Amino acid sequence: MQETVIKFQNVTKKFSFQSQKTFKEFLPALIKGEETSTGFIALDNIDFEIHKGECVGIIGPNGSGKSTILKLVAGVMSPTTGQVTVKGSISPLIELGAGMHPELTGRENIYLNGAILGLKRKEIDQNLQSIINFAGIEEFINQPVKHYSSGMYMRLAFAIAVHVNPEILIVDEILAVGDSAFQAKCFKRMEEFKKNGVTIIFVSHALGQIQSFCNRAIYINHSKLVTEGSTETVCKKYLEDQS
Amino acid sequence: MFAIAKEIKDIIKWRELLGQMVGREVKARYKQSILGYFWIILNPLAQMLVMSFAFSIILRIPTNAAANVPYSIFLFVALLPWNLFANSLSSACGSLVGSAPLITKIYFPRTILVLSTVIAKIIDFLLALTVLIAYMIYYQMPINLNILWVLPIFFIQQIFTMGLALFFAASNLLYRDIQYLLSLLLTLWLYLTPIIYPADIVPERFKVFFQLNPMAVIVNAYRQAVLGGGAPNLTSLSIALVVSFIVLLMGYGYFKSREKIFADNI
Repeated sequence: MQETVIKFQNVTKKFSFQSQKTFKEFLPALIKGEETSTGFIALDNIDFEIHKGECVGIIGPNGSGKSTILKLVAGVMSPTTGQVTVKGSISPLIELGAGMHPELTGRENIYLNGAILGLKRKEIDQNLQSIINFAGIEEFINQPVKHYSSGMYMRLAFAIAVHVNPEILIVDEILAVGDSAFQAKCFKRMEEFKKNGVTIIFVSHALGQIQSFCNRAIYINHSKLVTEGSTETVCKKYLEDQS
Repeated sequence: MFAIAKEIKDIIKWRELLGQMVGREVKARYKQSILGYFWIILNPLAQMLVMSFAFSIILRIPTNAAANVPYSIFLFVALLPWNLFANSLSSACGSLVGSAPLITKIYFPRTILVLSTVIAKIIDFLLALTVLIAYMIYYQMPINLNILWVLPIFFIQQIFTMGLALFFAASNLLYRDIQYLLSLLLTLWLYLTPIIYPADIVPERFKVFFQLNPMAVIVNAYRQAVLGGGAPNLTSLSIALVVSFIVLLMGYGYFKSREKIFADNI
C-alpha cells in the first residue's frame, strides 16, 4: 500500500452557534448563567485514511457533513476532538471563485486567485495564456468579471485552479455547472492529475461521475461514516438508503 | 516575540498573495468612479479647508506660539497621520468579515487579510501627503534635519495600528457590534488627541492622560519634527514605542487565539 497522505482519527467536529448575536442579548445571558451557545455535531467520530495517488469519492445527502470533511482537509477548520493529518500541498476546487473580485478584470483576477492558491507570479506569467485558453474567454479577459456570465465566471475560476500543481486536489460539486463540453474538458484535466499521482478527493451527487472516476468511495450520513470501500458497493448502499 | 517572528516568516513566504491583496484593495476601490484616485487627495483637502475655516477663523485656536505656522499646515501635519490611523482601523475591522468566502475555503495566513488593508491605507496616505508637501512649499515652510524623525515615529504608529487592527478584525468577526463601537471610539478619540488644537494648551492636570495616549504622543512628535520644534520628546516617544509593542503583542495573541474558530463563526 502507498503511504497515507490524509488521516482522520476519531474526528469529531462540533459547531457551537452563539445563541445571542449581540452584546445586548449576550451580556444579560452571561450574567444569568444561561447557555450562551448551542451545539451541533457535524461529524461524529470519523475514521478513515486516504493513500497517495488514490481518487476517493465522498457521497451522502445534503447536510451530512461532506463539506466539513473537505474543510478539515483544507485546514480552514480544526476538529473539536480527534486528529486530522494531511501531508502535501493542497489545491481546493471548492465553490470556485471565492477570491474573485467583481470589479477587477479577468486578467487581474487570474493573478489574484493564483496568489490565493499559492502560485508564484512567474508561474502565473508562464501559464497565463494556457489559463485563458482553458477558460475560453480570450475576448473578455480585460473586462471586469462582474460583466461575465456565471458560466464564464466558473470556467475562469476552474481554469486558474487546475493550473496549480497540487499533491492533493479537493473537488467539491463544482462540475455540476458548465456545459457538457467544458465538463468533459475538466474531467480530462482531472484524469491528467490522476495519472501524475495526485491524490483527489471528489464530492459529488452524481453517482455516475463517482463510479467512472474514483477508485474508492466513502459514504457519510447524519454526521457518521456509514461505509467505505469500492465505489460500486458504496454507491449501491447509498441508493438503497435513499429509496 | 518568537511567535511574531514566525508569523513574519510565514507572511514573507506568502508575499505574492500579500502584494495581490494590496493591489486588489487599491485597484478595486475607485473602479467605476470618474475622479478615481483623485478622491484620495480631494477628501483630506476638503476636510482640511473646512476644518481650518471652523477652527482658525471662527474658533481662533492658537497654533504653536513660537513658530509662525499657518493653521492649515498645523492641522494637516496631525490630521493626515490620524486619518491613516482611523482609516486603517475601520477597514481592518471589516477585512475578515469581507473575505468570508476565502476564510471558509482556502488556507493561508489570516493576518495577510488585515495587513493588506493596513498597507493599502499607507499608499493612500502617501498620495494625500503630496497635498501637504505642496502646501508647505507654497508657504515656504523652513524644514531641517529633524524632519527625519518622522520615520521612527511612523514606525511606532504602524506598530500601534497593527496591534489594534488585529484585535478589531478578530473581534468584529465574532461580534458585529465591534464595528459600531469602533466608529464611536474613533470619533471620541479624535477630540481627545491634540489634532485640532496644540498639545501645550492642555491643562497641566490632564497632561498625564495625553502621555498615556500613544496617538497623542505620536501626533505631537510629528508636529515637532515637521514644524521646526526640534527633536521630539524622547521619553514620551519611548513610552509610546513600548506601549505600541505591548498592544501589538496583545492584539496578535488575541487574533491567534481566535483564528481556529474563524471559519466556524463567520
